[in-house]
Amino acid sequence: MAAGSRPSPGANHGALRILIVDDHDILRRGLREILCAKPGWEVCAEARTGKEAVTLAEQLQPQVVVMDVSMPDLNGLEAARRIHKALPKTGILILTMHFSDQLVREVIECGARGYILKSDADRDLVAAVDCIANRRTFFTSRASEMLLAGQAAPTCHVEPTVPLRSRLTSREREIVQLLAEGKSSKEVAAALGISVKTAETHRANIMRKLEIHSVSELVRYAIKNQIIEA
Amino acid sequence: MPRVLIVDDHAFVRRGVQNILSAFLDWELCGEAGNAADGIRMIHALKPDVVLMDVSMPGMDGIQATREVRNADPQTKIVLITLHESVEVLRSGFRAGANGYLLKADAEEELIKALRIVVGNGSYISPKFDPHIVEQVLRDIQAPR
Repeated sequence: MAAGSRPSPGANHGALRILIVDDHDILRRGLREILCAKPGWEVCAEARTGKEAVTLAEQLQPQVVVMDVSMPDLNGLEAARRIHKALPKTGILILTMHFSDQLVREVIECGARGYILKSDADRDLVAAVDCIANRRTFFTSRASEMLLAGQAAPTCHVEPTVPLRSRLTSREREIVQLLAEGKSSKEVAAALGISVKTAETHRANIMRKLEIHSVSELVRYAIKNQIIEA
Repeated sequence: MPRVLIVDDHAFVRRGVQNILSAFLDWELCGEAGNAADGIRMIHALKPDVVLMDVSMPGMDGIQATREVRNADPQTKIVLITLHESVEVLRSGFRAGANGYLLKADAEEELIKALRIVVGNGSYISPKFDPHIVEQVLRDIQAPR
């Protein structure tokens, strides 16, 4: 199934419908192979970017979204945030290359119900989707320990990195990613369909809110907060 | 029928490769490993014609594994499969004895082509690299040191 594709007529309407999101075709193929092998599960669509994921999720309303965290233009966490806002009942599973305590917090905060590593086994993907489809969460044992200790619970006291990021609007977070990927204000404006002046105003607001003064600091911030990969 | 073995710590990539190869009757996936150490052992035992070797793996990386495989089983062709669009990693890979460099970004459409070229004793490098850079890398590798 090509990315951005729609379900075919006559699809099994009783099936668990899953949207898969990853910018690598070969990885989506592997995910599809594993998920479609499970009776009663169906990959209803695929997306190559975070933006495509949000559009398809809104159109198709899948029960589960399996989404890579690192994608160009709009990363998985930001896309998850937007999908969760539009479709609070849809379960979101994040895929990532690396474990980090920060990521566990980010995953919970964006409304996803769990994450697994790309190096995890096929059976972990199946177990994770199963949990998430049944409105449970799925985290690795280390992440679960953190949750039980109350360090990552949404109601607990937030740590310094969270308040800074939470001051940014969704649009500003999107622009952080584009700037950290090396785009100029002009390119950001073109990508988002806004004026260069508006892009520059956003950029100035972002730098002020995050208390940073250079693009290299912005890149470091973006890597640290899983907005882009190192 | 050429036999392929994949070494990659990402199960989903291994599954994607398996899915692609299953559509081609003239290729056989004879084994898969999730890390370099297991990969090297499996290559030595199964003697595949071509190995798809991930570059970034925990423990021993794919470049070092390539070096070891080419020493122990020099007839084995190796195609590195990686996220890294880096000329330096490309150069290191070929210096270590790799025969091909395939990017994960275009692996789906380029995989079979890469395998065919390498089994035919050619060198394969992803079309995402600038052809002048490719030419230079291949020339550097072939130059006497």
